[in-house]
Amino acid sequence: MLVTKSYEEINSKIEKGEAVVLTAEEVIHVVEEMGVEKAAKEIDVVTTGTFGAMCSSGAFINFGHSEPPIKMQKVWLNDVPAYTGLAAVDAYIGATEVREYGGISYGGAHVIEDLVAGKDVALRAKAYGTDCYPLKDIQTSINLTNVNQAYLYNPRNMYQNYAVATNSSEKTLHTYMGKLLPRNGNATYCSAGQLSPLLNDPQLRTIGLGTKIFLGGGVGYVTWEGTQYKTNVKTVNDVPAGAARCLAVSGDLRGMDPEFVKALYFPQYGTSLGLGIGVPIPILDEQVLKATCIRDDQIFAPVLDYAEQSRARKPVKLVNYQELRSGAIDINGKEVRTSGLSSYSKARTIAGKLKSWIEKGEFGLTKPVACFPAEQVQKTLEIREVKK
Amino acid sequence: MTVKECKVQLEYTPDLVSVPITYRLARDLGLEINILKAAIDENGGKMILFLKGEERIVAEGLRSLEKARVRVKPLGDYVVKDDARCIDCGGCVSLCPMSAYVMSLDDYKVRLDQSKCVACGMCIDSCPRGAIALNQ
Ligand code: SF4
Ligand code: SF4
Repeated sequence: MLVTKSYEEINSKIEKGEAVVLTAEEVIHVVEEMGVEKAAKEIDVVTTGTFGAMCSSGAFINFGHSEPPIKMQKVWLNDVPAYTGLAAVDAYIGATEVREYGGISYGGAHVIEDLVAGKDVALRAKAYGTDCYPLKDIQTSINLTNVNQAYLYNPRNMYQNYAVATNSSEKTLHTYMGKLLPRNGNATYCSAGQLSPLLNDPQLRTIGLGTKIFLGGGVGYVTWEGTQYKTNVKTVNDVPAGAARCLAVSGDLRGMDPEFVKALYFPQYGTSLGLGIGVPIPILDEQVLKATCIRDDQIFAPVLDYAEQSRARKPVKLVNYQELRSGAIDINGKEVRTSGLSSYSKARTIAGKLKSWIEKGEFGLTKPVACFPAEQVQKTLEIREVKK
Repeated sequence: MTVKECKVQLEYTPDLVSVPITYRLARDLGLEINILKAAIDENGGKMILFLKGEERIVAEGLRSLEKARVRVKPLGDYVVKDDARCIDCGGCVSLCPMSAYVMSLDDYKVRLDQSKCVACGMCIDSCPRGAIALNQ
């Protein structure tokens, strides 16, 4: 008999504090011992987690109106420009925007980190002055307690899987995948593998629009498919062997924890936001459970040579995450040392925290309001003739 | 017998550049030595040595160097890792030529084994959290 559970059944167990919750690491061993059929009856939720550089992150902030009011046509937060092509006193601070003066080592990610840490941030704004918004300049300071809204809206987070980077050229490359040493001196990867949210529900059966998640230590929601979301990726062991699906997420900066919102700076590349996300997976049936049992040695990623400066880099080979985490992989007969850029120890902490929230009945599960595309191809940008 | 291991930095004037100081330590005293770094310029020579041997003999070797007008400094920690800033991403792990940064496969935390460091400086600009710095 196939086991099926509804969201309502699972939530009522959570409310009563009776739900059986395991992390995506723990579930592997439990199912090995118990068998899928029995385990599917027992287990209600599997929690996942990831912590890594999520470049496509940023925050909307509404500063409130000054006296006299200003339209804020240009805004800087700690000298980092924020986007203001919106209604008056709304701005969007992007994680990878770098400050205008003083070098690229401080950017929007640092502003967000400072805000979450409860610090004051300098606000400077300029405007051309209108009949309704006469003020042309303002300088003040803001923090999370005195602005109206401040929430993350990240268009592309939580990549399902990601390619491994190496460099066959003669010189060191500085990339968003970190420092890549010459002559394949190292290789870097960026996925929580068996703990990674979208690898534990590869077809997104339970994760969709409106899914409630752990975001930066607080609560957030899945708000859309991620930009560059695609499904036409080769799969191995039923999971994509390369970057495939990703999600847009949103959540209030208030309530986030500095431990899971960390600014990153990659020398000679720029800034990014290190962000922790966790997603609960309701065990609706055996199939959902089976997918959460994926192990590092079953998840593969292509190795790409960043010496080739083209979007159509041909993979050198496929490697699995167990090999990557062992510290070295083989590339053309050479032992190449590996570095993860996503923190597995933090991913574990996140899956564990989310588990305890659910066990204590503090975090209920949501059924997606809508599902994301089952099939989607990522388009490229061609350089076309511009018609006048 | 107590075995001692230590790392020392040697500095010497240009006239000593041609003297085989490390060879003497090995041949005359039977110390195990490893040259971690060596550089010579117009101001003389600078060398970082790893020494291993009986405590008494190591001390004798260091004294003989000083007698030969070599300045001997124990090498403290060349780099420091600020664990409060570190997020255990492992970015530094594959960059250190001596594998001084180790990601434990139990708790997936990254630790710096100072005894392996040869003061090459490769890791300084590798950390996205700015957790690695020269020990000033
Ligand atoms: S690169 Fe920096 S943050 Fe990452 S493990 Fe090394 S010291 Fe820690
Ligand atoms: S200075 Fe060189 S040897 Fe020492 S820890 Fe850094 S990379 Fe390793």
